[in-house]
Amino acid sequence: MLTMKERNMKKDSKSENHAVVAHDQWIAARKAFLAKEKEFTRLRDELSRQRRELPWELVEKPYVFDGPSGKETLADLFTGRSQLIVHHFMFGPDWDVGCKSCSFWADNYDGIGIHLEHRDISFVTISRAPLPTLEAYRQRMGWRFKWVSSLDNDFNFDFNASFTKEEIEDGTAFWNFGHQRPGATEVTGISVFCKDKDGQIFHTYSCFQRGVDLMNSAYNYMDLAPKGRNEADQNPTMAWLRRHDEYED
Amino acid sequence: MKAAIKDHEIVPEAEWLKARKKLLLKEKKFTRLLEELSEERRSLPWVKVAKDYVFQGPNGKEALADLFDGRSQLVIYHFMFSPEAEAGCPHCSLRADGFDGINVHLKQRDVTMIAVSRAPYKKLAAYKKRMGWSFKWVSSGDTDFNFDYRFSFTAEQIAQGKAFFNYKMQDPGPTEREGHSVFYKDKRGDIFHTYACYSRGNEPFNIHYHYLDMVPKGRDENGRGPFWVRRHDEYGESTAVRK
Repeated sequence: MLTMKERNMKKDSKSENHAVVAHDQWIAARKAFLAKEKEFTRLRDELSRQRRELPWELVEKPYVFDGPSGKETLADLFTGRSQLIVHHFMFGPDWDVGCKSCSFWADNYDGIGIHLEHRDISFVTISRAPLPTLEAYRQRMGWRFKWVSSLDNDFNFDFNASFTKEEIEDGTAFWNFGHQRPGATEVTGISVFCKDKDGQIFHTYSCFQRGVDLMNSAYNYMDLAPKGRNEADQNPTMAWLRRHDEYED
Repeated sequence: MKAAIKDHEIVPEAEWLKARKKLLLKEKKFTRLLEELSEERRSLPWVKVAKDYVFQGPNGKEALADLFDGRSQLVIYHFMFSPEAEAGCPHCSLRADGFDGINVHLKQRDVTMIAVSRAPYKKLAAYKKRMGWSFKWVSSGDTDFNFDYRFSFTAEQIAQGKAFFNYKMQDPGPTEREGHSVFYKDKRGDIFHTYACYSRGNEPFNIHYHYLDMVPKGRDENGRGPFWVRRHDEYGESTAVRK
């Protein structure tokens, strides 16, 4: 068995001994691969179509959040639009700072909210930490997105983004549509809601764990680079990650 | 599209879960396919870069080797901004809104990511300031770089509507096209071109589309493409959804 370090060195030497060819040969190999990429793009289109065909469930409970403009209901969070995307950002009621992985994802979506608003979508980040804690952390990170607290309601528990310590201990936490043991009371995920003309709200979609992978362009970019995600020597896999103001260099 | 929303099937939670779990299996299969595809991409052969390219950037003249900034992997976003244009392409600007915040993380994984355009550096710097971005942006206006890697096309190619674009002879459209190029620098300082993508090959980096693909209306573009996109400081009520 190779150690992690040896495995990594092997990977480096693999990069150093990579097949180098003339331009024409490269084009031939690239074209063959392009056909597979196109097939994959069509597969993603098809999966997105099937996702939108999923049935919806009616949201019957009234949820009231603490937001920058005071108390806001789930309906208010749509801010006049008919579609709402929620990022479940891991930030427990007694935490001082937000989860670093969720912060990484937020670095990806902070700039695009304004564009989504022009496609009939409001985007909001929701966590259980109290609003002043969220607001202080948002300012520290320099983010612009809207962030509301679900501390006073069951929202996070009902949509399986928070679990009680008991649920985690006895294995009844329903995480990513199965019974698993998450490492913390909070998990990351995305939930989608739709509001009709009568004001009825429907839960249309949620995803957790690797379901949020595509929403992190940094990983998509790493997938292009010769070394890939290169996390074999990392334990856990994202051990290298810091908040954007916490890297030493 | 609208009908799919109006008469959408509403079910109790248990049924919703059943349908969701079924799709989850397909999503997991898709994630594994994506991993295989990425692995295969990285096994593509490389081409040695034999030409010297000198760019104009914030530090003056910089060679392609300098752009790696001490790292071994360089990802370039080819941002559509021709020498004559006064502002960068709105669609590239949307993509930049998506990648501007992630550079600091990529640096930790031995990846330097920058944008390259043909417009003079002064124009790039002014536009970058207007948009409030922090990524590094250099001009390839004095080199063949954009033409060699087929992200810019000559007036003749445009007039004839024929150029080698996205790996086949076709009408490339405008003189500038968007996309990504990836380079690797080895310990000896040799540089290799490892990968490039164009057109929908860029979609993995459009996180706005990944979010749109999740919502009931989807992209809602009716085959018109991203007609709705504006620069982030130019959205008036033009494409705003009525509140």
